[in-house]
Amino acid sequence: MAKPAEILPGTLDMLILKAVSLDPLHGYGVLLRIRQISREAIDIPQGSLYPALYRLEHQGLIAAEWGQSENNRKAKYYKLTAAGRRRLREETAGWKRLTSAIDAALNTSSLEES
Amino acid sequence: MLARVRSWWRAAAGRREFESSMSAELEFHIEQYAEDLMRAGAGKQEAYRRARMELGGRNSVEEDCRKARGLQWLDEVGRNARFSARLLRKSPAFTTAALLTLALCLGANLTIFAVVDAILVRPLPFPDAGRLVTIFNTYPKAGVERDGSSITNYYERRGKIAAFRSVSMYAFGTAVVGGAGSTAVTEITWVTPEFFATLGRGPARGREFSDAEMNPEADRVVILTDEYWRSHFASDPSVLGKQIWVDGSPRTVVGVLPRGFRFLSSKAEVYLPLSSSAERRTPQERHSGGNVMQMIARLRPDATIEQAQAEIDAQNAALERDDPKAKMIADAGFRSLVVSLHGDQVATVRPVLLLLEAGVLVLLLIGGVNLANLLLIRASGRLKEIAVRRALGASGRRVVSEVLVEICLLTLAGGVLAMPVGVAGVRLVNALGAQQLPLGAYIVFDARVVLAGLVMTIVLGAALAVPVAWFNLRSLPADGLQSASRTVTTGRAGQALRHAFIVAQVALGLVLLTGAGLLGLSLKRAMEVSPGFRADHAIAGRVSLVGNRYPSPEAGREFTERLVKDLEQRPGVRWAGITTNIPFSGYNGMSAATVKGEVLRPGQTVRGNYSYGVAGDYFEAMGMVLRAGRFLNAEDSQRKERICVVDEDFARYHWPQGNALGQKLFQGTRPGSDAEAFTVVGVVGSVKQAGLTDEGTQGAVYYPYIYRPDSKIFIVVRGSVRTEPLKADLQSALRQLDPALALTGTEAMSDRIAESLLVRRSPALLAALFSGMAVLLIAIGVYGVLSYSVAQRQREIGIRIALGAGPVEIRRQFLSIGLRLLAAGVAIGLGGAWMMGRAIEAVLFHVSGHSAAVLAEATGLIGLAALVACFLPAQKAATTSPVRALAAE
Repeated sequence: MAKPAEILPGTLDMLILKAVSLDPLHGYGVLLRIRQISREAIDIPQGSLYPALYRLEHQGLIAAEWGQSENNRKAKYYKLTAAGRRRLREETAGWKRLTSAIDAALNTSSLEES
Repeated sequence: MLARVRSWWRAAAGRREFESSMSAELEFHIEQYAEDLMRAGAGKQEAYRRARMELGGRNSVEEDCRKARGLQWLDEVGRNARFSARLLRKSPAFTTAALLTLALCLGANLTIFAVVDAILVRPLPFPDAGRLVTIFNTYPKAGVERDGSSITNYYERRGKIAAFRSVSMYAFGTAVVGGAGSTAVTEITWVTPEFFATLGRGPARGREFSDAEMNPEADRVVILTDEYWRSHFASDPSVLGKQIWVDGSPRTVVGVLPRGFRFLSSKAEVYLPLSSSAERRTPQERHSGGNVMQMIARLRPDATIEQAQAEIDAQNAALERDDPKAKMIADAGFRSLVVSLHGDQVATVRPVLLLLEAGVLVLLLIGGVNLANLLLIRASGRLKEIAVRRALGASGRRVVSEVLVEICLLTLAGGVLAMPVGVAGVRLVNALGAQQLPLGAYIVFDARVVLAGLVMTIVLGAALAVPVAWFNLRSLPADGLQSASRTVTTGRAGQALRHAFIVAQVALGLVLLTGAGLLGLSLKRAMEVSPGFRADHAIAGRVSLVGNRYPSPEAGREFTERLVKDLEQRPGVRWAGITTNIPFSGYNGMSAATVKGEVLRPGQTVRGNYSYGVAGDYFEAMGMVLRAGRFLNAEDSQRKERICVVDEDFARYHWPQGNALGQKLFQGTRPGSDAEAFTVVGVVGSVKQAGLTDEGTQGAVYYPYIYRPDSKIFIVVRGSVRTEPLKADLQSALRQLDPALALTGTEAMSDRIAESLLVRRSPALLAALFSGMAVLLIAIGVYGVLSYSVAQRQREIGIRIALGAGPVEIRRQFLSIGLRLLAAGVAIGLGGAWMMGRAIEAVLFHVSGHSAAVLAEATGLIGLAALVACFLPAQKAATTSPVRALAAE
């Protein structure tokens, strides 16, 4: 198994928002979903997951509700709020701009080409 | 933002729910992960172990989650508060001392604040009260500082002074008000039209008085206060147009004032028109105010007092141009002053109130310093504990926040306890007569005072927190552990601070005590002043000769003669007399007399003097002293030739050679015909008219009643034993002569004098009370700090005693610490007391602000208290058992 990529600071919130944007998830589910949608490339440290969830809930970007898990247990489910959706859009756009800019910068082979 | 607050609130309010939900969520996570791990082949125990480990420290995750919700500081405060409360409960002596100090000092401050606020700070209860002014005539060079305003002034100024929106006059008085035959004496106020409009609170029903009602023929109208209307007319809505009897004649109600209306300190229940005849409005009457009638005005919104003053000055100058007496008036230094109504009302009490406020703040300062010292000692006691905790990783912030929470708890509790103390204090000052001060009726303990108390508490808490927090932060963990382990002179900085505080306390206490001493001595000096008559065994009451039974002065004279004769026949009565004004009555208007043949020397002007119309045996009844000639007696009012008696001040001024007897004088400012002249037949000792501290030597002239009649008379009765039966005698004599007459203000002359000293006695008493508290606090402070020193140095003392030091040396060592602090405090305090003495000289009477005797006594008292407080711990140190001291560690 390849060593999971270190997550960049500030990207955890974005990843969580993305994970819960698809459908409501409990905390452990968020962990699995991020691993899944990053094709096992990103493994977020479990200790920082819950503080992040609480912070996002506090900011009103996600909302929590108790529900039933797949194996009929009580679990706390998080879903994206309207504000969260907005934030995710902004962050995604921002991230794309940043990465394409960095790509462009890193792909430059000689000064003449640019 | 709103979502955040809501989330925080939910978490904070449903705290238990938050915690259980959080732990359930984390539990669920661990189970799910462990199940997945087991599915991948791990054993159950191993799976759970790994799941827990990967989540990280459960506590730190939970703490991070709480932090994400902003709950952390709330936790900290709650934890600290519980911790502090426990600590405070564990040291009841400290807690009690601290709370008592706070409650008493803050309570005393609240009390004085309530008084100062009500009298000096709060605006008068009228709209835009800052624009209300009063105008009074003054003739300083004639010795008449204040003469009110005259009816002529009023009609000359009405509508003529551009800076005034409206001008009005008022005069206080009493009248018999009620149904026909009522004898209920009621306080009343005479007012001109626009009086209520000037104040900005007009009648709630009906109308103000009209211009027509200012004529004596058309003035049978009255305006009632709301209280009078409620109690005497049962809130009758159709009261307007009804009749009410005032001084024996009916008047029509034309208005009712709004609820709670009160003009300054007046208790008037009924307002009457200040009507005047045409003669009283003539220019000749311009200077006849006599301090009976006062003028108020409301400035236009854009006008200033200076503008109004300039206009009044200009008008006075124009009017005096064609006045035959102009030169004399100008020589008397005549001016009409425009001053703020509020400021004028409280001018007499402002200095003394500010003095008390300063005194009580000093007391608070002393209490605060005491508390700071107690807290520092406490902090030193916990130095080791705190050092250990800091070494184990507690942050400086954490330690300080604990201290702050403790101080918050203490000061808040003290502040709460101070409220009932303040309420009791306000009762006390009212019992001491604060209600009788100008505007004293407005003194209340209300939300505003409570708010001020809260602010004071917070400021005090913050001020206390600074040195204690500094001390805690400054002591490094290593130091704390070291010094505590050896128990030698710990934290030199802490000790220096404590000692500095003691010095400050002693200095402040000395200033406070000196101030109280000066006030007390000043009161004593005032009480030693002879009023010029014998106040014991004499009473005086007042009667208004009104109604159709007394149409002329002649009728009044007859009445007074019958009354005096009746009274003097009674067994308990020695003398009885009548006068139109009595010393200490509060009526201090002056008039003028002109000496026949007197040529004014350069720089000399007409002089105001007190004038009395007397009948019966007035001088004997008052116990006055005869210097030359004879007293006036009952027959003099029937005598054809006019005679009078003057007092020695008057005689000395006008006849410095001492030949007063046989000289002639005229009433008023101009000599008249020989038939109008009064011959001086006697010279009597001077009496104090306004008060014992009255410094004026304006002189007085006593005329037979018939030549200076007044419908308001005072009756003086002197007995040989007690004064109580005299009141009954006076009442029954009056009832026999005329049951319709109402006697008011019957009081022993000694009580009148005592009341006149109120403005000196009550502040002196309060200052003494504050000083007593201050001395006690200082003693506690010195005792606390020195005891702590002794306790800290047990081991050292033990060693020294073991090595042969005697109790005397040990005692001397600690006493000398106390003495050094005392000496430093006294040195600074004397400087402060000197400055304070200069500042308060204005309110002192015949006492220098730098009275050496007072300074010495104050120093002695503080020194004694501090020495006793030093001696106890020093004695304890001296009797230390070396075995026990060394074994203690």
